[in-house]
Amino acid sequence: MKFTTRELVTMAVFGALWGLVEISLGSVFHAVDLPLSGMALAILGAMVACIGRLFVPKRGSTIFIGIIAMVLKLFSIGSAVIGPMVGILAEALIAELILSTFAKPSMPAFIFASAGAALWTLIQPFVTGVLLFGRNLLVIWLDVLDMGTRVFGIPYQAALWIVFVLVSVHILFGGIGGWLAWKLGQVLKTRLGGEVSQPIG
Amino acid sequence: MLKQAQPITISPSAPKSLIGSLGHLSIFLWALVMVLIPSLTKGIILALFALGVLILIYPAALKRLARPRWLAIFGILFLVNLFFGVSHQAPDLTVLGLSFSSINILSSVQMTLRAAVILLAADGLSSSVNIIEVAGLLERSGLRGLGFSIGVATNLLPDLRQSGMNAWHSLRMRGGFRAQWWRGVQLLVITVFSNALRHADQIVLAAEVRAFRPELSRHSPLRIGALDVWLTAGLTILGMVLILG
Repeated sequence: MKFTTRELVTMAVFGALWGLVEISLGSVFHAVDLPLSGMALAILGAMVACIGRLFVPKRGSTIFIGIIAMVLKLFSIGSAVIGPMVGILAEALIAELILSTFAKPSMPAFIFASAGAALWTLIQPFVTGVLLFGRNLLVIWLDVLDMGTRVFGIPYQAALWIVFVLVSVHILFGGIGGWLAWKLGQVLKTRLGGEVSQPIG
Repeated sequence: MLKQAQPITISPSAPKSLIGSLGHLSIFLWALVMVLIPSLTKGIILALFALGVLILIYPAALKRLARPRWLAIFGILFLVNLFFGVSHQAPDLTVLGLSFSSINILSSVQMTLRAAVILLAADGLSSSVNIIEVAGLLERSGLRGLGFSIGVATNLLPDLRQSGMNAWHSLRMRGGFRAQWWRGVQLLVITVFSNALRHADQIVLAAEVRAFRPELSRHSPLRIGALDVWLTAGLTILGMVLILG
């Protein structure tokens, strides 16, 4: 991965913006115990990363932005944030993989990337819970069902319905986030006269 | 919030610290291996050993983890695994009228210890290593220019926060979030992003005026501790002996 000075600084800006979202909003969401806060943070992060991809349309730029955000989160106040760190890195990796399958940044690419990152938050407890904290798969599964029951009021027994609704909500909101990211990115490019995407260094 | 990134100055006359960046990274990776790989019964002994080593090296990190919030999380983790952990073994122990399976108890202890070791190792690493040193470590793994980018991002963070707050207050005072709140949110986001990208332009110009070229720049410096090589070798051998032995 070779980037020019301008691209490195642009990625630093988007990494800092993602880091700022994680540090400030992450703490607030955690404090008020907002349901599906992980999904909201993942979508906001993916939106920032996608807009960043629009300004640095090169392979590897999204994961680069994610690594910067992850390092900022690691050094933020209230340490021991291994879950969010894994989350940021995985979301950046998923967004990078999806965006790299498209020839150039486009609205469908943003929608899929953002939806993929949002969907990861549903899968993450099964990965980090088992690998890092040695939790039982069944306990994590029950937690997911409990969340579905609390948020959507679906009876505990309708497990498949809960999973279907959770997956749909994550994909839907993730997709909306991707669409918004595309629209915002276009507005930003117009406002800045496209000057940021032209490499100097 | 984060501290501003400061360049690491390494003077030849300054006494060398015992553990440097590589040493702290080795300790972190060793602790992860010690709790993630071993089996159930062996895992508890190794996790206790790793916990002891980490407490000796990072006593301040232990103080942070001993806060009521973390103790409550560890307690919940233990109880959830104790009562809802799945084992095929029938309950063989009775404590205060409650029946438990000994496997579930062992598993709960291991999981709680595992969480404590991982959190202690991560906290110890982040409190002992400078943000630029982490960038330096990542740069050496092939992410060229990351040190520069992380330095820029760290120094940019307070400005971005202030710029965001200013835009928020300006919009709110002009009633931007009342009648057309959605448009207000859009304007807020666009303002914050535009300001950030304009600020980026200034940083690029400043870097280029100083003839900065990512391909010619040196890696971010690392602190080399007197014990780093010995510590890395020792922990690798110890880990292999304990896990495979």
